[in-house]
Amino acid sequence: MSGEIEAAAPAGALSATVADRHVHPGTIVLRFVKELPSTVLALPAVLAFTSDIGLVGVLTFAATLAAVMAGINWLAWSRFRYGVGTSDIVIEKGILNRTRRSIPFDRVQDVDIERRLLQRVFGLAKVRIETGGAGTDEGLIDSVTIAEADRLRTAVRAGKSEAASVPADAQPAGGAPATDSNLLFAMGPGRVLMLGLFNFSLVYIAGLFALLQTFQNMLPFDIYDPARWAGLVGNHLPERLTAAAILAVLFLALLLGVIAGVATTVSREYGFRLADEGKRMRRERGLLTHTEIVLGKKRIQVALIQTGPVRSRFGWFALFFQSLGAGSDGSGRQSAAPFAREAELDPILEAAGRFRRPAEMLERVSNRTVLRASLPLALPAAAIMVSAAWAPDRLWLLLLLPLFAAASAIQRRFHRYALADGLLFIQRGVWRRRLWIVPVERVQALGISRSRPQRLLDLATLTVDTAGAPATGGARIVDLRYPAALALAEQLRVGQGQL
Amino acid sequence: MIKLEPGQLWVMRIHAAIFALVLAVAAIVFETAIVPEIGFPRGLIAGITLLLILYLMLISPGRHYRAWGYRMDEEDLRLRRGVWVETHTIVPLDRVQHLDLSQGPIERAFGVSRLIVHTAGTQFSRVVLPGLSRPDAERMRDEIRTRIGREEA
Repeated sequence: MSGEIEAAAPAGALSATVADRHVHPGTIVLRFVKELPSTVLALPAVLAFTSDIGLVGVLTFAATLAAVMAGINWLAWSRFRYGVGTSDIVIEKGILNRTRRSIPFDRVQDVDIERRLLQRVFGLAKVRIETGGAGTDEGLIDSVTIAEADRLRTAVRAGKSEAASVPADAQPAGGAPATDSNLLFAMGPGRVLMLGLFNFSLVYIAGLFALLQTFQNMLPFDIYDPARWAGLVGNHLPERLTAAAILAVLFLALLLGVIAGVATTVSREYGFRLADEGKRMRRERGLLTHTEIVLGKKRIQVALIQTGPVRSRFGWFALFFQSLGAGSDGSGRQSAAPFAREAELDPILEAAGRFRRPAEMLERVSNRTVLRASLPLALPAAAIMVSAAWAPDRLWLLLLLPLFAAASAIQRRFHRYALADGLLFIQRGVWRRRLWIVPVERVQALGISRSRPQRLLDLATLTVDTAGAPATGGARIVDLRYPAALALAEQLRVGQGQL
Repeated sequence: MIKLEPGQLWVMRIHAAIFALVLAVAAIVFETAIVPEIGFPRGLIAGITLLLILYLMLISPGRHYRAWGYRMDEEDLRLRRGVWVETHTIVPLDRVQHLDLSQGPIERAFGVSRLIVHTAGTQFSRVVLPGLSRPDAERMRDEIRTRIGREEA
């Protein structure tokens, strides 16, 4: 409601919120008490043990420290002010670095009132205002009386317009039973076993070695000495350990890898079920610890299809959804189908909203990426050539360099992108082949960066930031031509405007 | 692209000077206390540090200052920055979650403020635009705030 008044009012008429309230003065005492063990007790104690200033000296030091701490706490208190306006809440803080934060009501997701033991003693409460931002301390008012905390919460909730909360639609996770549950994807025991075979990992062989090391003194050889290994195969202990025996050990290690892969996969994915329940999806899985999460469809930001060189050969794919704070086990990446045929993904993607697999050809990034990847090799190449003046036989090292170029050429084959129907598709990775499907309206910010070599070759990296994205390894297109990157960024922005 | 306030150049110079001072102290300690002990060539570290300090104090602040630029229109806030890696950031205004207007002691002395825009993203969850005059920063903040209200209505 207030949002409409806001919209009608010209920018100049926006009343500035005055931050005129302090938190409760009891907070000074509260903080002081909380800091007591680490400052006024611990530091003088350290001083008492490490020097010989005597009891009076230590007490003086403790008193001075206490006075300084109390002074700083008072200063911090006096500089912390907040105020609730017609459309936002304002928090001013900082002793040296002064900050004035403005949190629009429409962005507030939740107002938490927290009461710890110390706060209870003083009859106070900590108010935490959460927005959709990535941080945790978006608006922390520490501490006010309970009546004031309630007033704040009421004021913020009243000021919030009905159509609020972008990007995450505030929606209760769990709770009400499903009206009509429609199975989207499930894995039978056979499928789970097969996934287990694909999850075979050499990590378990490392584990075997760790085990061997533990019992090393019981073995007749040093496991880290290759000569001894060779000796074992050769003539050292021919009657006890033959080549066949070594092979048997290797086979055992492989078998262990397979068994461990199957065991972990079965315990995690057994009975995997993903069901559509109208506004949300429900996922169940797990053999020993059965887990169940609810994924609000409106909270799904990005879909990610992942496969590998072997998996894709056999036609297997995994589907993940990147979401905001979904259900019990939090936000981030949620598995929606760990092991599925391509066609099986389509109904899930469709049920999740505006997602689909790319029908159009994805475009490769610029072929200059090979040059860009090879450019840093100029230095080692020069080093090899110079050193060849002394040792000409080292020139063969130059032959290694084209391998890097070849690797980047292969990487380019698997790095493609396209923008169609307001969906940005980005494919990347050779070993871990990932395909991001990003609806343009989910893009929070865009970044175009150019390193020195990229500027030299007129290339750029386009980063597409979304809510709940991982800190590294998010969706980005590396080594587009710079004009293409700029054009794509504009297209993405225009696409957002049209929706 | 709009340039930052000239005061920001001085803020950058002072930040560089503080960093240079730390470097200088570290280099002096190394030269006097450690070099004689381990028989490292004398003056090598000091020389390199001196060059580094000269770059930090004389060249780097100006280059960083010139690399900065911003533009805000109806739809977006756009920033450009970076000397070694040049970065453009586009923040759609209707994606802003909340806003900070910040000022440190050095910035206060030179009359500049920082506008910090928070989004729901990860890498660009906190986009900082330094070197604004107080009125400019307040005007931009109010414009973004109005924009958020308008989009919700």
